[in-house]
Amino acid sequence: MTDETNLERRYRRLLVWYPRAFRRENGQEILDVLMACARPGQSRPGPAASADLITSGLWMRLRPRLPRSAPAVRAAVRLMYAGAAVTALSLIMATISLASIGRRAATLRVAGRNQPFPVALTVGIGLGLVMIALWLWMARASSEGRHWARIVSTVLFGLATLYLVGSRGVAQVVFAVVVWLVGLGAVWLLWRPTSSVFFQAQDVTQVGPRP
Amino acid sequence: MQEATFMILTALANGAQHGYGIITDVQEISGDRVRLRPGTLYTALDRLCADELIAVDREEVVEGRLRRYYRLTPAGSERLGAEAARLQAHATAALTRLNLSGGMAT
Repeated sequence: MTDETNLERRYRRLLVWYPRAFRRENGQEILDVLMACARPGQSRPGPAASADLITSGLWMRLRPRLPRSAPAVRAAVRLMYAGAAVTALSLIMATISLASIGRRAATLRVAGRNQPFPVALTVGIGLGLVMIALWLWMARASSEGRHWARIVSTVLFGLATLYLVGSRGVAQVVFAVVVWLVGLGAVWLLWRPTSSVFFQAQDVTQVGPRP
Repeated sequence: MQEATFMILTALANGAQHGYGIITDVQEISGDRVRLRPGTLYTALDRLCADELIAVDREEVVEGRLRRYYRLTPAGSERLGAEAARLQAHATAALTRLNLSGGMAT
């Protein structure tokens, strides 16, 4: 009996890899199935079963669950992930080139002013990470049907337009244009009529009483 | 279509089943070759529900534990039928060629 409860507790710990909403809905049932599949006297999850739970959970976190009836939102969310990927790529490239410049220049122009090299590098990487986080946040909120995600995304797109106007240097302009186009596509898709239907439907289910 | 998806849809083809039922059924259909892991199964079920190929049929409480039964939707039946026909065409092509080259005696 203690073996069983130990096993159950260990399985439960592995379920944290799943998104919270999914866990609330299906967690106990998955646990029951895991326990039903367990060998008699088994006290800890096998490596294959653990790996399966971890990868499945992570996969669910990364792949948004969106109905087929909202193709525009699906596409918008995919674009936002692409935006995050482009930002990450440019951050890596910028860091590499900054690191090589750093050997020659004592100061760098980042965020509109000249700064000592270590400060510039930190600010640059920090800004890049914030941008990636914003993309991922918007992708997630949109896929959950949060109505404010459309508005915040649109405001962020406006800021990206300012960034586009203010950027200098070939690499920075190319990056800003790509990000701006991805953002334009995502915002346009979020305001399509089928998307509005999706966001309104999700809003109703979220406001309604929870069981 | 992934094999796991195909097998889950097949398990649901002649009636609603709950998670553990699908696992044992798939094991039986495949002659013990495909053993779905619970993590994979529930991720696939969630995906298939989102894609509207399956739907929750009903919920039952057995010995104080919730069991959710899933069933195929019309779109799910259609997809499974199309995939089965595709696989059958491939299998037929393979068998025909083996037969022509004398690999199979009939």
